[in-house]
Amino acid sequence: MQIFWVTLSAALAIAIPALATAWAQSRIGPAAAASLAEKPELSTTVIVMLAIPETMSILGFVVAMFIMLRAGG
Amino acid sequence: MIRTMRRVRVMGPRRELERTLGVLQDLGSVHLASPPRLPALNPSPATRREQRLLRQLRTLAADAEAARSLLGLADVPPAGPVPDPAPWAAWARQARRLRHGAEQLGERRQRLEEERALLGKYREMLDAFSGLFEAGHLPAAVRAYHIVLRPGQSAVVEPLRQALTEVLDSAFELRTRTLSGGDTALLLLVPLPRTGRVERLLGESGVQEVPLPAGYERATAAEALPRMRARLEALPPLIEEVEAGRKTQGAAAATVLPPMLAATRDAISRLEAVGLAASTRSAFVVEGWVPAPDLPALGQALRERVGPEITLEELPPGVDVDAPVVLHNPRLFRPFQLLVEMMPLPTYGSIDPTPFVAVFFPVFFGLMLGDIGYGLMLLGLGVLLHRRSGEGTPLRAIAQIALICSVFTIIFGILFGELFGDAGRHLFGLHPLVLDREEPKDIVAFLVLCVGIGGVHVILGLVLGVLNALHGHRKQALGRGLSAVMILLVVAALLAAVKLLPGQLLTPVVVALLIAFPVLVIAEGIVAPVELLATMGNILSYARIMALGTASVMLAVVANRLAGAIGSVVVGALFALLFHLVNFALGLFSPTVHALRLHYVEFFGRFYSPGGVRYRPFTHWRTH
Repeated sequence: MQIFWVTLSAALAIAIPALATAWAQSRIGPAAAASLAEKPELSTTVIVMLAIPETMSILGFVVAMFIMLRAGG
Repeated sequence: MIRTMRRVRVMGPRRELERTLGVLQDLGSVHLASPPRLPALNPSPATRREQRLLRQLRTLAADAEAARSLLGLADVPPAGPVPDPAPWAAWARQARRLRHGAEQLGERRQRLEEERALLGKYREMLDAFSGLFEAGHLPAAVRAYHIVLRPGQSAVVEPLRQALTEVLDSAFELRTRTLSGGDTALLLLVPLPRTGRVERLLGESGVQEVPLPAGYERATAAEALPRMRARLEALPPLIEEVEAGRKTQGAAAATVLPPMLAATRDAISRLEAVGLAASTRSAFVVEGWVPAPDLPALGQALRERVGPEITLEELPPGVDVDAPVVLHNPRLFRPFQLLVEMMPLPTYGSIDPTPFVAVFFPVFFGLMLGDIGYGLMLLGLGVLLHRRSGEGTPLRAIAQIALICSVFTIIFGILFGELFGDAGRHLFGLHPLVLDREEPKDIVAFLVLCVGIGGVHVILGLVLGVLNALHGHRKQALGRGLSAVMILLVVAALLAAVKLLPGQLLTPVVVALLIAFPVLVIAEGIVAPVELLATMGNILSYARIMALGTASVMLAVVANRLAGAIGSVVVGALFALLFHLVNFALGLFSPTVHALRLHYVEFFGRFYSPGGVRYRPFTHWRTH
């Protein structure tokens, strides 16, 4: 039973931030495309902007790893 | 580092302005600045002759550029020397002629293409009913209607047939064929005297006859369709003939246009530069910026080529706020300027982060990808790009960055004992020397290492921020210095709390923090605590190195295990190859983007002052 909860917790720890990242990037993407159409020189800024929400997924991944490791997995 | 610039003022007789600008253009080291604001000096107006010449040169350039574009020629520097003096009048006539010829060929080709596209629409109809239109098959007193029905309209055929039977009895012929796009071609033949009633019926059924193209309207289908077919067959050779004519013209123009365009653009920029000079009735003044090492050569060239009447004056330091920025770094660091130049340039007098990027970027990349196999693949890619790129091009810089990153990827691959994930372990008995990224305990150690590197990187950024701010913003420098000290104190307190440092240190460190905190608030304002927290968050952000690194190795391990699980050796090997290729592509993209982000956001955010003006020396177009 414990392994079920550990696995579920780890899955949620990565899944929820991943959904949040997806939502954030879905908002950034169209705005970025529109900006690039007018000012192609903003490409660096756009890449950085797109990478910023990924922090949530990455930290979620770290937390999920810790949950698994703490549970001996 | 940012190259030291010198502000210079060139003065001389007004009549020597054009020659002086020519010398400056040949040298290609002076970044011209706005006209100096001095009493009795006015912006130098171009003479009537100069204005007329500028207009003519712009027309010439427009003609030559249009001809080059229409003839499909690349915009390349001239292969040989440019004639001096340039034959402007002959060139103007030649450019006009080339443009006119290229436009005529272009228009003719467009007309032929349009005609081919239009007639092509009738091709299927021709093929479907070809037998009927051959000579002798169609009686003279018969009218043919050609109708194309959309896929949803085919249901009208049967009701139409019934209606025609009621009206014409059996005096009509209705044939249908299904075309490739799903449309239905419908051919209706009726006696000429009954066409009025048939046309009403067609109108009531909601179907329309396909009109014959222009030039064939007066002909009957039996006459028009064979002519159209013959024309369709004749069009490709005609188009090829036009294309051959364009190629011949292009080959002739390829030797003429590059020197013409280069000389014209140079002359235009020289005349436009006159507007950047200031003058009295008899003298002129030009100001600009020149890299310090190029200053002696500038003075010598002006004396030798224009004469002793020209004076070169170096303006005193202190007016360098608007100096242009040119990054100049040792050869090994130079490719990484590309990554810095993707951001707005740093202001003149601030710190050029290129050397730090050159050190940390490959380390971050190597830590994330860290695999001998992927490193070798990247090495191969880097060598390939290096061979295919020209000296000084962005592609060459990317190739060099790839080569350096591949070396770090291989080094970290050896330290982590990874060759295509765990394949090296199974095939060659490879063992990790420092960290095993598949082992749970080592994953935690890897995380601590990454956050530790992040701490060093961010504190280095704060120290650079202090150095940057020392030039003028002493309070800001104090705040940034205190932030760095506080982060060190927080780290020391945490280490003392978990007994990694002696426990006796905890109290003095906390006391130091309590003293430093109000000083920080006084120096940086009430937002200082928030910024301090953001800085701590930035350090934690380096956990992404561990996360991406672990994800990369896990994907490689999964690829190997899935390949092993497949019964067939060949299929398994192919599957593993495909999976590793995907992982390699991801392993190129993600570490690059995240290493860039760690620099642009976490590191540059501590000290970088953007807003520098790019150094654009006044030079010949061909050297751009």
